[in-house]
Amino acid sequence: MKAATLLLGVVVAASFFPVAKAQKPTLRVSGSTTVHPVVSEAAEVLRKDKDLAITIDTAGGSTGGINGLGDRRADVGMSSRPLNNADRKKFPLVDFHATSIGRDAVSIVVSKDVWEGGVKSLNADQFRGIYECKVTNWQELGGEDCRIVFFNKEPGRGTWEVLVKWLYGNPESAPRSNHPEVGANEEVRSKVSGTRGAISFVSTPWADGQRVFALGIQKDDGSVIGATGPDIASGDYPMTRPLFVITNGEPAGAAKVLIDYLLSDAGQELVAKHGYLRLADLK
Amino acid sequence: MTVSRRILRLLLPAAAGLCALAALSAVAFILGVLLLRGLGSVDWVFLTTDTKAAGAAGGIIFQILGTLILIATALAVAVPPALAIGLTRVVFLQNRPRAARAVDALLHAINGVPSIVFGILGLLIFLKFFDWGKSWLAGGILLGVMVLPTLAVSLVERLAAVPRKYIEAAAGLGLTREQIISAVWLQQSWTGLITGSLLGLARAAGETAPILFVTAVFSGATMPDGIRDSPLLALPYHIFVLAQDTFNEDARANLWGAALVLVMLVTCFNLASLPLRLNLHEESRHV
Amino acid sequence: MTEVLPPSVASCAKVFRPRWILWSCALGVAVTVTSLLGALAMLLWQSLPLLGHQGSSFVTAPEWYYPEKAFGALAMIYGTTVVSLIALVLAVPVAVGASILSAEYLPPGLRLVVKSGIEMLAGVPSVVYGLLGVLFLREWVYHGLTAFDPISGDSLFTAGLLLAVMILPTITTLSDDALRSVPASQRSAARGLGLTRAEAVLHVALPQAAPGILAASLLGLGRALGETVAVFLVVGRQDNQLPGNPFSPTAWISPGQTLTSKLGGPETHIAYGDPLHWSAIIGLALLLLLLVGFCLAAAWGLERVMKRTPMDTESDS
Repeated sequence: MKAATLLLGVVVAASFFPVAKAQKPTLRVSGSTTVHPVVSEAAEVLRKDKDLAITIDTAGGSTGGINGLGDRRADVGMSSRPLNNADRKKFPLVDFHATSIGRDAVSIVVSKDVWEGGVKSLNADQFRGIYECKVTNWQELGGEDCRIVFFNKEPGRGTWEVLVKWLYGNPESAPRSNHPEVGANEEVRSKVSGTRGAISFVSTPWADGQRVFALGIQKDDGSVIGATGPDIASGDYPMTRPLFVITNGEPAGAAKVLIDYLLSDAGQELVAKHGYLRLADLK
Repeated sequence: MTVSRRILRLLLPAAAGLCALAALSAVAFILGVLLLRGLGSVDWVFLTTDTKAAGAAGGIIFQILGTLILIATALAVAVPPALAIGLTRVVFLQNRPRAARAVDALLHAINGVPSIVFGILGLLIFLKFFDWGKSWLAGGILLGVMVLPTLAVSLVERLAAVPRKYIEAAAGLGLTREQIISAVWLQQSWTGLITGSLLGLARAAGETAPILFVTAVFSGATMPDGIRDSPLLALPYHIFVLAQDTFNEDARANLWGAALVLVMLVTCFNLASLPLRLNLHEESRHV
Repeated sequence: MTEVLPPSVASCAKVFRPRWILWSCALGVAVTVTSLLGALAMLLWQSLPLLGHQGSSFVTAPEWYYPEKAFGALAMIYGTTVVSLIALVLAVPVAVGASILSAEYLPPGLRLVVKSGIEMLAGVPSVVYGLLGVLFLREWVYHGLTAFDPISGDSLFTAGLLLAVMILPTITTLSDDALRSVPASQRSAARGLGLTRAEAVLHVALPQAAPGILAASLLGLGRALGETVAVFLVVGRQDNQLPGNPFSPTAWISPGQTLTSKLGGPETHIAYGDPLHWSAIIGLALLLLLLVGFCLAAAWGLERVMKRTPMDTESDS
């Protein structure tokens, strides 16, 4: 009994801690799970070296980050897609200032059984068929007799917008389609590798060729192009996207420190470390 | 006796026993898996260092601290109304059964509200209306309201078990109602508040949905400063985010460790309340 | 022979300010009630734009696609219903069975052990259940139920199964209480008439405990309806899954979406700035509250019936 009261007393005493600390402005970063690994490591370095307070969250993906910036719930938004008209219309008072810190591509990935069944590339028409549930069996695409299971991404994911831009030109033209949804890049990998006949799309560094396999994209002239460095840099591979950190107005204060670091050699090393293309690698 | 009756006589306990066995094996499995996979990652370093590499390395100290701060705040928020409601229900409404039932209904109602609705309400009130950023206080208040019924019901149980003869004796001595409350009612039943608090803390520690929108961030928060824009890390949210990324081998071991720590924290509070709860049953039998 | 009072009472001759306890209690209750009512009012108010835009088709339209401002919640209501019903169908028999064992057949010591053991299920946080669901249940369902040809391990059924384990302790404990509240004299009378123990349970105790067991199930249902995190992780999150035949097992083994999995997902973060989208999300929350409210009210009514049923007291001693 006494122990219980003591435990309770300790807990109540702990509740007085929060009020006894000095103010330190916190930089709130939020957004894309693709950009997250880079910014997360940069933040760790800056917290140690420059004693900056930086919080990072990834709920809502790229659109969540942009919205957070617009609602003033975040100071820096991470996005793996360019800002579009809908964003600017939604937040007319916000001066979105996007700084590119690198480039990335979106790969179409399939599970092992599909890859070994002979499907190694797709063209836009075929993918549109899958997206709209018109093509439902891998046999129709040169693979084995297996149902196609397409994992779509949650609304608001930058990766999804890049895909539908390739398929339909812009996100607004994408038709309604109903597929199971997955969230962050890791979740895509986990679900695709664990499901027969699965296909989805993910940020290129996550397509490791062991658990999930990246398909090439057939261009109109029949040639197949993969998501390799030079093709991404030149823009030949159709689903490339810049990686952005976005601020309201010109970056200033702690946000400027973070962005300067990301643009510096050390920061760009992090970009490369996580499999993306550095700014210097682009022509 | 007919054969069918004989069969039934054996069948019912057998079937019932199987059901109980199924339930208990679920318990054994869950605890077993947690211990097997999580124990390896939990050591002193894990409990006292910061998270690194988005969960793949490092420890969970600020997640633990964040959870503790949240539940302490929840307790502070829940105790005054629980006291008020408990006392009202038993003392002031003892001669008004309909009003007393209304209070019971109120407690049931709060207890049944889904946690995500609390989360949405928090988003609405604290982020939209008050224009706070993510705040530890918002999460604490939401959790406090959520566990309020647990505290109140536990207190009411204890209050209702106070022997009438104590009250009558005190009244016979000439004490006013307020004096009787503090000298007799509360003196005899404050352990009910302790029990309820421990149970409430256990429940609040494990909740994810209320803090999803208004308090938790995934990385970067340490100790809160101020009220607005003071997010926290929290164990349940940490587990929730990483559970969606279970493919990362490095993070997986740490994930199990975090889950084990959370379950142990909750179990500690639950176990701490046991002696008091068993006591209650003993006493009410002897009165 | 005078009663000995606790020392605290005797020492209580100190003067207390009159009535401050009464007023502070009244204040506490008033503040609580007002805040709750205020919160409810806010929810209703914030959902108004949706009613203007969509009206009652919110609950009858099956399509939810926010980019085109279509907000039909029917598929999610279906998902919530199926998931909770599966949970109940799986949990209630096991719970009642376990409670029969503990209430009717076990000696008090063992009864406590079994009850406490099962109650430990209630102590596991829902996010840990979600984790276990993702890492274990998903695989088991996917590889175990190949007869039904599931698309993936995440489905309405997986979520229902996980929920069944989560609500099991609630239903078991309360059913045990309901059975124990049937007086022993009833069972003695039955045995005296020549019934076996099993028959006494089945024909005497169980029927009388039925309202209590039903109330327990309804409370379990309420909990299942409102569970978010665990369901979010294993339900598949596929919108607009309204099958032609709602009762076909194939429909249940497919991914789906529930009210809670939508609310707990990323759309809430996205909806935050857009008035119409936001009011649709609030509408979902209100819908959920309504469903849970029904369950709780029904359980409440049944508990009252259980308490009011005249039972002979243990006066035969």
